[in-house]
Amino acid sequence: MNYNDFVKQVPRTMRGPLSENLIDIILEGDESLAIPPSLAKTILHYWQRDQLDSEAGLTNLLKATFEAEPEKTLKVIDTFDLKELRVALQPA
Amino acid sequence: MRSFGIEFVPMELFWKTTYYCMQAEKLGYDSVWITDHFNNRNVYVSLAFIANYTDRIKMGPGVTNPYLIHPVYTAQSVASLNEVAPGRVICGIGAGDRTTLEMLGRKMESPLRAMRESVELIRAQIAREKSGYEGQMFSTSAGARFNFKTKGEVPIYIGAQGPKMLGLAGEVGDGALINASHPRDIERAVSLIEAGADKAGRSMEDVDVAAYTSFSVADDRKSAKKSVVPVVAYIVTRSGRTSRNATGGRPSAPSTAT
Repeated sequence: MNYNDFVKQVPRTMRGPLSENLIDIILEGDESLAIPPSLAKTILHYWQRDQLDSEAGLTNLLKATFEAEPEKTLKVIDTFDLKELRVALQPA
Repeated sequence: MRSFGIEFVPMELFWKTTYYCMQAEKLGYDSVWITDHFNNRNVYVSLAFIANYTDRIKMGPGVTNPYLIHPVYTAQSVASLNEVAPGRVICGIGAGDRTTLEMLGRKMESPLRAMRESVELIRAQIAREKSGYEGQMFSTSAGARFNFKTKGEVPIYIGAQGPKMLGLAGEVGDGALINASHPRDIERAVSLIEAGADKAGRSMEDVDVAAYTSFSVADDRKSAKKSVVPVVAYIVTRSGRTSRNATGGRPSAPSTAT
């Protein structure tokens, strides 16, 4: 799955709030072990630079949340009414 | 100058604790303390990670103890951390709590002596003194020093609750971590630290005094109190009789904010 292509569909104005919602999912979630340490470190890298709402930051964040908490991730995407992204991420 | 620090318990995955510390730095906190308990994730692994992802905030164990971790290893750990985060490392050390020590078959023997010697030995070791250290509880032979160069000092904060330990913090500590929350307890503790500093010919400007309080933030007062109850209960059960007497046998009310 190419998360970067999905993130490109997210309007720039939505990227900040979306990243905040996604980070809450992985901080509060119980499935954090599903996130590989290398991916977690990449997220910390972007967070340190305040770039979690950048295309690359959001791509990694989306990958992490979808791997750890797919249902919650889809729920957040619904909240933002990102229909195309929802369809693309929806399990077959 | 007044500053603010925050303690984190490394109960969660390394990157979550790191994230919280990064958040603390971004919010303007001056220091983060990571607890040192055998049943949580390792304090120095956590701190090394935090050091990598922060730039300004000070950090250190809050607090380690000399019964489970030999002071020379504490010195080695904070000196190594100081290479990763130069000038940002602080070291909190206390006598530990009896319950945890007993779980590992250790006794809290001569805590005042142990703490005094620990502070002296950590300082001597970081300074790479050649002569060795001869104490009653800890000793090192001449030449037992690090093979790596150390740079700068690491301020040592003594975690204290009882009157004698608070006095010792004033005597020998670079700082004191007062393990209390009630303003009355803090006032009493500060006067004991001051008396200790006087005894050693020091002034209170030589001792950075920190109130290591339980602080709970929630939308309403009831929720704030509820979430801090386990922490206060833990502190009270491991505190000495003197501390409990000072509050009439009742736990000090935690600070809460809504």
